[in-house]
Amino acid sequence: MMGKINWEHTVYPVLAPKLSQLISATAARVRDQAMEIRLRINRPLLVITTGGGIFLGTDGKEAAVARTAYHCSRDDLGQTMQLISKNSLYAFEEELKMGFLTVAGGHRIGLAGQAVLYNGQIKTLKNISSLNFRLARAVPAAADIVIPYVIAGPRQIYNTLIISPPRCGKTTLLRDLTRQISNGVSGCCSGLEVGLVDERSEIAACIDGVPTADLGPRVDVLDACPKAEGLLMLIRSMAPEVIVTDEIGRAADVMALNEALHAGVKVIASVHGRDVNDIASRPYVGELINQQYFDRYIILTDRPVIGTVGEVIAGKPYKVLFRNEIGVKVCGLS
Amino acid sequence: MWVKLIGCCLVIFTGTWGGFMIAARYVERPKQIRQLIGCIASLGSYINYAALPLAEALERSTATVDGPVRDFFTEIATIINTKGWVSPGQAFVETLSKMQDKLAIYHPEREIILMLGASLGAIDRNEQQKQLDLAKAELEKIHREAIVERDQNVKMYRYLGVCAGLTTAILLV
Repeated sequence: MMGKINWEHTVYPVLAPKLSQLISATAARVRDQAMEIRLRINRPLLVITTGGGIFLGTDGKEAAVARTAYHCSRDDLGQTMQLISKNSLYAFEEELKMGFLTVAGGHRIGLAGQAVLYNGQIKTLKNISSLNFRLARAVPAAADIVIPYVIAGPRQIYNTLIISPPRCGKTTLLRDLTRQISNGVSGCCSGLEVGLVDERSEIAACIDGVPTADLGPRVDVLDACPKAEGLLMLIRSMAPEVIVTDEIGRAADVMALNEALHAGVKVIASVHGRDVNDIASRPYVGELINQQYFDRYIILTDRPVIGTVGEVIAGKPYKVLFRNEIGVKVCGLS
Repeated sequence: MWVKLIGCCLVIFTGTWGGFMIAARYVERPKQIRQLIGCIASLGSYINYAALPLAEALERSTATVDGPVRDFFTEIATIINTKGWVSPGQAFVETLSKMQDKLAIYHPEREIILMLGASLGAIDRNEQQKQLDLAKAELEKIHREAIVERDQNVKMYRYLGVCAGLTTAILLV
């Protein structure tokens, strides 16, 4: 499931000049396979690829051992933080509390440092010492395998929950499902009005509120909006036929999804987990499973490769519609 | 004779011009401080309520002012936009030294502006607002003093310029 990354426009502009120079000097093969860039103060510059971790040397080429790799300085991380936040940390207070920021292209940047507490709650992070660039790749046609299981009729889709551990292509699949539902699937389903609550700005990769990812012609995006409030706002204000959201889990999210499902709006959501049983045993989100709100469960796995569709399961009655043992299906490579 | 007359006129003109130039800075200073206060108040709104990125907030905060203060904020916004790795504090220092001749601001207000610049973008919204309010309050105080100085000195320097020109011309003749 490896799409292209626009390095010049989405990654280099948010890296400190030195790091940007090193990564642009690295082999195209490494960039093509890159999944993460990990920066840590006084630690080697590490690029995680589909083939494993690669240390980058002072010339941008692969370093044989960590000792000979380029070691990121405090300035490198400081400058990178300034570029990511556009010198405006105040505009990312909530994101800092959650420990990540999202930049153009939908790349999520994880942060680690020193937590500042106020009344026992995390107020912000200071002395950021580690950054993890999780690179997002748009994969057109990523949802081709699962879309027949999601469509219920000419203007109908099933309530669908995508279950996946981190880094298995959940957001990529959700993005392409949104695009295909908004465009319509020829011969199966005409385009539907989609409301997207993109709390982490990863699905639509909005810049100044405008999506940069191709989501088709019928999508309204609530960018950086908490899911619970966003879902209800969209239902009230934009009259969507389908609502899409990422990574549900909190009690408020589940209550809002309940509202949407009862309002007759179809829902496509994702959740971190291994399988349906795993999710069913969780607080809050487990209620949705136990009460059979979802018609379809799509389970993703990274074995043998990222984006593999493990299973597609019908919710009521519970029935496995597809299992990867029959033949491995990889999103985007069908 | 004609040469002396022209020479005298030039000396008187130069003295008068010098006096008026010094007086102009006294006139300009409270005006520019007032503009800075307005921009800072506006910047606070863009940061606090709209959470705009700093460069955009700086640009927008100058919507109602013109002249050197507008150029000052716009220049800082340009630096932040084009060289994102430069901190706002550095951008303020760089721009202030570049525009020193155009801005009619003295040491006290310079200190306040640099202190504000050093805190911009690096703290949360609440703290940012406190810093902006503090800078505004300090500038208000300096503005009042600058008005008193202006009222005391503008006429004096204008007369002084004319008188110095005349005196020099008389002495030379």
